[in-house]
This record gives sequence, structure tokens and C-alpha cells, in this order.
Amino acid sequence: MMRGVLALSTFVSAILFPWPLTALLALVASVSEPLIPLAAGLFVDTLYYAPHAGMWPLFTLCGVAATAIAFFVHSRLLTSPVR
Amino acid sequence: MKRTFLARRNALLSSTNVSWGAFLLAFAVLVLLVRIFLPNMFWFAFTPAFRAADALAAKGDLFLSSFGDAAVLTARNELLQSQNAELASENEALQKRTGTLQSLSGSGIVAGVVARPPASPYDTLTLSAGAKEGVLIGMEAFGPGGVPLGVVSAVLPDFSRVTLLSAPALVTEGWVGHSNIPLTIVGAGGGALRASLARSTGVVVGDAVFAPGPGALPVGSVVRIDSDPSSPVVTLQIQPALNLFSITMVELRATGPTFVNALSWATSTLP
Repeated sequence: MMRGVLALSTFVSAILFPWPLTALLALVASVSEPLIPLAAGLFVDTLYYAPHAGMWPLFTLCGVAATAIAFFVHSRLLTSPVR
Repeated sequence: MKRTFLARRNALLSSTNVSWGAFLLAFAVLVLLVRIFLPNMFWFAFTPAFRAADALAAKGDLFLSSFGDAAVLTARNELLQSQNAELASENEALQKRTGTLQSLSGSGIVAGVVARPPASPYDTLTLSAGAKEGVLIGMEAFGPGGVPLGVVSAVLPDFSRVTLLSAPALVTEGWVGHSNIPLTIVGAGGGALRASLARSTGVVVGDAVFAPGPGALPVGSVVRIDSDPSSPVVTLQIQPALNLFSITMVELRATGPTFVNALSWATSTLP
């Protein structure tokens, strides 16, 4: 339940609140759902990306990086004897 | 016998199997596809959300600013009022300049008036354009509406001086009335023009007076006719079409050597 609320809050925050809060929520949600940063980054760029403002979709790239880190950490935790 | 009761669970909607990340990623991709392929629908759907976000941000700013120091807010308010007044003044000046530029034809050199009487010698204007802008002696100066004003009598690198048609003894060959009766317009000084004409021409008060530019251009109108019964000629007092001392922008164009010759007669009162 909490995972769902956190994930949805990230998306709502992308529309209503400044991006640092969205980024924070995405990072917190990535602890349980590694795909959230990527989804949030893609969503933010979908909403606000303007081709003439910059060449790269920055939020999506940051989301990809955060998701990759989250998956790496998850994989290490899964193989760790401490679970 | 003890029966074990197992609750039936929906395999598709199990809370443990639902990946919110995958679901939201699919949603984000769907929104992206809508933005790419159905942009109108995208903006229709998200415009209310953006407006709500703007309203929320505005209320948030208002709420946070209410915690600010009153003295700081007052100083900021005064600064903003001062800046607002400056911007309003600048806007008014720009609008005035734009209006003046639109009234000039724009095919010549547009110059601002730096000095006018009494700051400059009477019946002269000092302009902000000079030799660097291509100004030459003998160019004719036109005011808003293409009204001839005078002729360039001196040129410096950055400035130039225009001797107005009203300069004493500046002679301009022109016309008067609907039938274009030729007459010689003579500057009377102080912004006034004068001309002498045979009594029999039938010129009346209100007739327009024209000067050569490209064609015949109105320079003023007859406001009084001085007549001496013993003289065969009448003197026309001509009021310029523009207030020569209220002009802020002029346009300079080369119109031939007509005025260059006239200048030699007109500079006696100039420094």
C-alpha cells in the first residue's frame, strides 16, 4: 500500500510541486520500486521537455541512472546473506 | 477434523505481484506516446493540471512571503514601484518614438533632434546623425507626414545642423493654392514664412503652400494676406504645417541641389 502511495505521490508531485521534491520522492520510492525514478523522469520530460531548450531529456537520463543504481543495490541485497 | 481455510486470492491483482514501477513506467510511456502522436489531446488533458499547479505556486509564494519582514517588504515594494514608474516612462518614450518613426517614410536617414531653439540658433535644428550616418550638406529634412522642414547646412561626424525653411532669407521656390501658382517662399525668422505674389492671382487665406521635395509637398498654409492699395503685390503670411520647434525626429533625404544654392543666402544670421 505504501509503495503505491509513494509511487503515485511522485507522479502527482511532478505536476504540482517543484522538481526537487519529485526527485526526492522518486529516490525514496526506488528503495522498494527501482523503476520509479525512470518512470518519473520520463513523465517529467514528457510534460516539460522543450526541444529548443536543451538537446537531451535530462530528467529521463537522471531517472535511468537512478534506476540502474537502484537495481544494482537491489541485486547486491538479494545475493547478500543479510536479508 | 480440523479444516484449513485458505482465502482465495486473485492471481492478477495480488498486492505482492503488482509492480508499481512497471505500471507507472507503462503509464509514462503511454503519456509520451499521446504527446507525440496526439498533441492536441495531450494539452487538452494536462492544461487544467498545469493551471492548478500555477495557482498552487502563486498561493505558495503569497503564503511564504507573508512571513517576510515588513520593513524588507516595504523597501521591496518601493523599489518595485520605482522600477514600475521607470518602465512606464520608458514605454511611453518608446511608443512616442515608434509613432514618430511610423509617420516618417523611412527611405532616408532618420535622426533625432538634439537641440532646437532656443538651445540652438533660431530656425535651426541640431540632429543626432552626421557624416558617419551618411548625412551630406544640402540634404532636405522632412518631418512627420513628409512635410519639408529645411536643409542640412552643416555636418560633423556625429551631428548635423538643419536650417529650417523659416530661416531669414532662405528662399524656397514653391507653389500655392489648388492651381499651383508658383511663388517664392522666404523665411521670415522665428518659424514664420512669407511670400509675395501679384494681387491678381486670387490667393485667399487658408490656401495650402507647397515646397519641392519629390513633387509638391505641403509646408504650410496662408494665414494672413497683407495688402497695400498702392502696391501691385500682396504679402502672404504663411504658417508652417508643423510646429517646427516641437519636432523630435526628422528624416534626411537627398533631393537635388535646389537647397544648396539657397543656403548661401540664408546663413547670414547663423553663427
